[in-house]
Amino acid sequence: MSGPGIPWYLAVSAILFATGVAGVLLRRSPLIVLLSLEIMLNAANLAFVGFSRLHGEMDGQIFALTVMAVAAAEVCVGLGLIVAMARRRLPLDVDVFSELKG
Amino acid sequence: MIFGGWLCLLAPLAGFLAILLAGTRITRRQAGILSTASVFVGFAGAVIAFVDMLGRDTADRSEVTTAWTWLQAGEFKVSLDLLVDPLSVVMMLVVSGIGGLIILYSNGYMKGNDEERRYFAYMAFFVFSMLLLVESANLLLLLAGWGLVGLASYLLIAFDHHRPAAVTAGKKAFLMNAVGDATMALGLFLAIAKTGSLDFGPVFQAASSGELSDTVVTLIALGLLGGALAKSAQIPLHTWLPDAMEGPTPVSALIHAATMVTAGVYLICRAHPIFEAASAVQHLAALLGLATLLVAGVVALVQWDIKRVIAYSTMSQIGYMFVGAGIGAYGFAMFHLVTHAFFKGLLFLAAGLVIHRLSGEQDMRQMGGLRRSMPLTHLTFLVGTLALVAIIPFAGFWSKDAIIASSFALGGALGWVLYIGCLIGSLLTGLYSFRMYFYVFHGEPSAKVEAAAHGEEAHHGEGDLSMTVPVVVLAIGATFIGLLQIPGVWEPFAEFLEDVVPPLVTPSTGQEWLSSMISLALATFGSYVAWRAFRAGRELVSAGPIRTLLEHKFWFDDLYDAVFCRPAQMVAALLREQIEQPLVQGGLDEVADGTIEAASVAGRAESGLLRTYALAFAVAVSILALVFLVVR
Amino acid sequence: MLTTLLIAVPLVAAVVVWILPLSSESTSGLALLAVLAEVGLWVGGARNFDFSSQTQQYSASREWFSDLGISYSVGLYGFQYWLVGLTIVVGAAAIGYAIWAGRERPRAYYGLMLFLVGSLVGMFSSQDLLLFYVFFEAMLIPIYVLIGVWGGPRRLKATVTFVLYTMLGSMLMLASVVAFGITQGTFELSEIGTSSNDWIFLGFLAAFFVKSPILPFHGWLRITYTEAPPELSAILSGVVPKAAVFGLVWIVLPHFPGPVDDFRGLVLVLAAATLVYGSLLAFRQPDIRGVVAYSSMAQMGLIMFGIFAVNDLGLDGAILHSVNHGLVSAGFFLLAGIIETRAGTGEFARLGGLAKGRPALASIVLMLGMFTLAVPGSTNFAGEFAILAGVFDRGWGYAAVGAAGMVLAAMYALRLISAILHDRRGSGGTDTGDLVGGELVLVIPLVAILAVLSAYPALISERSFPLDQPSSFISAQETPSG
Repeated sequence: MSGPGIPWYLAVSAILFATGVAGVLLRRSPLIVLLSLEIMLNAANLAFVGFSRLHGEMDGQIFALTVMAVAAAEVCVGLGLIVAMARRRLPLDVDVFSELKG
Repeated sequence: MIFGGWLCLLAPLAGFLAILLAGTRITRRQAGILSTASVFVGFAGAVIAFVDMLGRDTADRSEVTTAWTWLQAGEFKVSLDLLVDPLSVVMMLVVSGIGGLIILYSNGYMKGNDEERRYFAYMAFFVFSMLLLVESANLLLLLAGWGLVGLASYLLIAFDHHRPAAVTAGKKAFLMNAVGDATMALGLFLAIAKTGSLDFGPVFQAASSGELSDTVVTLIALGLLGGALAKSAQIPLHTWLPDAMEGPTPVSALIHAATMVTAGVYLICRAHPIFEAASAVQHLAALLGLATLLVAGVVALVQWDIKRVIAYSTMSQIGYMFVGAGIGAYGFAMFHLVTHAFFKGLLFLAAGLVIHRLSGEQDMRQMGGLRRSMPLTHLTFLVGTLALVAIIPFAGFWSKDAIIASSFALGGALGWVLYIGCLIGSLLTGLYSFRMYFYVFHGEPSAKVEAAAHGEEAHHGEGDLSMTVPVVVLAIGATFIGLLQIPGVWEPFAEFLEDVVPPLVTPSTGQEWLSSMISLALATFGSYVAWRAFRAGRELVSAGPIRTLLEHKFWFDDLYDAVFCRPAQMVAALLREQIEQPLVQGGLDEVADGTIEAASVAGRAESGLLRTYALAFAVAVSILALVFLVVR
Repeated sequence: MLTTLLIAVPLVAAVVVWILPLSSESTSGLALLAVLAEVGLWVGGARNFDFSSQTQQYSASREWFSDLGISYSVGLYGFQYWLVGLTIVVGAAAIGYAIWAGRERPRAYYGLMLFLVGSLVGMFSSQDLLLFYVFFEAMLIPIYVLIGVWGGPRRLKATVTFVLYTMLGSMLMLASVVAFGITQGTFELSEIGTSSNDWIFLGFLAAFFVKSPILPFHGWLRITYTEAPPELSAILSGVVPKAAVFGLVWIVLPHFPGPVDDFRGLVLVLAAATLVYGSLLAFRQPDIRGVVAYSSMAQMGLIMFGIFAVNDLGLDGAILHSVNHGLVSAGFFLLAGIIETRAGTGEFARLGGLAKGRPALASIVLMLGMFTLAVPGSTNFAGEFAILAGVFDRGWGYAAVGAAGMVLAAMYALRLISAILHDRRGSGGTDTGDLVGGELVLVIPLVAILAVLSAYPALISERSFPLDQPSSFISAQETPSG
């Protein structure tokens, strides 16, 4: 087994995660927010797989697959919501929706 | 014998429950009949028990039966025990017999009252409770009966619930009796702690065998005495009885003269082993009885309400019984209890006839000259008065003078004090009794009497048959019942009780006759003075500080008001207004308001902006991550 | 099995009521049916219940979180059976009252009431510490909602106050439960053994004192009892404080014998203070519910006497008096509700003179009043007497305070009776007639049970603990079995 060592994987994972966080925090379009969320999940997946490789066990890989399945389901719901918003001609801006205000 | 005991106890209870459950399905008249009949059935039970008892050997005259366990905890156990022995049979006969007559009288007296059913239910309930008291074979059940008669007394005093005076009097009676119940309960706790039982047998055995220390016995006796003083309206717990006259007159006759108020005497006789072991307490009972008989006797001299005069005379006569029981002349005390039930019941019922005729008037100054318009009432009232004053051969002569003779026979300082005091009491009895008699029946009729004599009431005679018959029966009793005890001739009553309550002092025949003659002379002299004063139109006690003292009843009421009632109310008000409301409730309001306020402030942090939430989340996670990295 | 059934019937009925879109009539009918079925089950169970048996009966046990030693373990001893019976009877009367009064949003309402009854039954029959805590908390949730939604005008403040107090108590108890269970390695009451840790003991004590309430933890009492709907006040004053009785008798006494001895003086003094303070305040309250609320507090002080006397008389008396007090104060709150509904007020200033022409009302007020003041011969007297005779062993002073309490009780009870029935006719009571059918059906059973118990208080006192040996039974629990 050869290739880059675990630090590389983790570094890429961290960069991806930071990008995701920045996207969620800075962008106002729900579509981009959703996209950023996916990036964060994939950052986690990468870390899982990296560790799985390091320890030589399959648990991490299985987890990564599970996360993908959940992510797919989540994207379905998320995109569905966004489509519904677009159909109703609601503004595609997360700051406008503040119904949860206490 | 035991069957009679059960019948006697349960018949009035059945009557009470029947009236209670029937409600308005029966007429008022039927309620009256039901109540009367149930009590007379009870009387039949008492007679059965009595006759059965007479047929038995003297050693075999006491029987206990247990129905079921009433209260149990570990080793401690109290059952619903019925005791039928000579002492309880005497009480059963008096309670159910006199009770039946008085309830019969009520049928006429209460006619026309809207709430007759309630009245008769209460009366039957009272008789049941009183029988429970006298038939119980342990102290706890006795206390239960003790409390229930107090309850019945409260209900009946406050029967006219729309009159505030009646309600207040009822509450006062209940509260003072609650004080007595409380001291009695304390005595019982001590008895449980020391003997593990409340049955008469073991407790009395422990007391008389010296198994209990002197302190313990004294405290138990004091507890019981507290109950006896409250129930029998003796100093210092006596102030409720005169006020209790707010109740209907037959109630006063039954509860506040014939039966309930004499329960204290019964208790001392019943628990005599305890009192004998604590002789200081027993003597205290005698001295308090003496104080009561003198105080009540002098206060009665200035009263104008006919029922209050009789009430004070009741206190005074019970004082005699306490003297008797306190020096160990149990048989005589019980005999005076029995004769007193007759003549005092009679006096109240006869007074009731007068009050009934005068449509509720109770002030003796509004009466007078009634002997012509109400001859039967006059005659029976006179019999009652003579019996009360203890004129030979009426009942009081045989019973009261036996107590006086016993104190003479006792001798010593205590004996002499009691003896002299009792003789003064005889004089007082003559004074106030005949004062009342003359004011009511002699002299010129007042306008009210004239009006009544020609009014509609006069056509009904002196009262319904249901009212006159009991009065006549009681008058016959008050005349002849005393003949059961003629010193030197025969004394079946005292002998009947001797086995259960052996007397501590027995005066000789000579002592009895001697002291009877002195007492008779004093009583006659008192009556004569009352007559002279009445003819001269003078008061027995002329105006001045003494009269003021008497009219204020020695300021007992004011004293208790100042020492107990008002401080209790003040403390309660203080607690509520200075502590509970400002500190507890007020502080609580602050806290509650503060919480609501804080919640609304915290609510503002919820901006509803998704990205703010995400930022907060991210920051928090980062901080946590840093903390974990640093602390490890 | 029966125990599980007793717990499950109301809970299932609650869920059914919440889920099914029934009409308001069938909702209330279903609720009533459920509680009546409970009564039937309880009575049927009583016939086969062996009160002298040393083992718990109708028990069921199933693993729940086996790692933590937590299980669903329920079962009944005699005293628990009586407390469960009290819950069921009062619960049935309360639901009956709600039907009479006609509550809005019936599905939510009856669901919550049934849930409350179910959790109370569960609490009284749990044999596992954590299960007890779960039911203890579960019963609070419906109470919060019921006060907050169906309460009187100041219901918000009442709810907040109640939540604050009970939460504080519950938190302390949770800490104690966890600490006790973890250190002992199990939460099963029959295996948990004893502890001498004062702090754990005090945590339990604080929770139970809030629930009773004992001075100075009574701040929630007045406003909660006044603002809650009357039938909830009936359960709140009649049954809920018995959680403290159960907890103290079954958790604290057997498992903390050391601290119980050490703190006995303090507890008894607090109980005495509660008795006197509650009685005096009851004497000054301006309305029916205030009097009953503070008298309830005073009675709990008395029951505390019995529990901490830890002897046969005290414990038997405490259980007997718990049942008596539950029935009396529930009866009085229902009656207060009826009078308030009819006269439009519960304030004495506007009541009075109601005895005239209302024999049924007058009789019931009088009887409940007499039970409240424990007139000698009543079952309440039997309970009080046993308690005070028990605490006499621990010091005559406590019994003397208790005896004084009897006089004070007479004072406030007579004042209450007079204020409703006697005195002058108040402006509030002019158009109220006597009690009629439905109202009588609600209150008479409670009074009738009290009357029967008065003839035979040993029915409970003799059957509360195996062989009627409470103190040795309690101390036998100190050592874990098996």
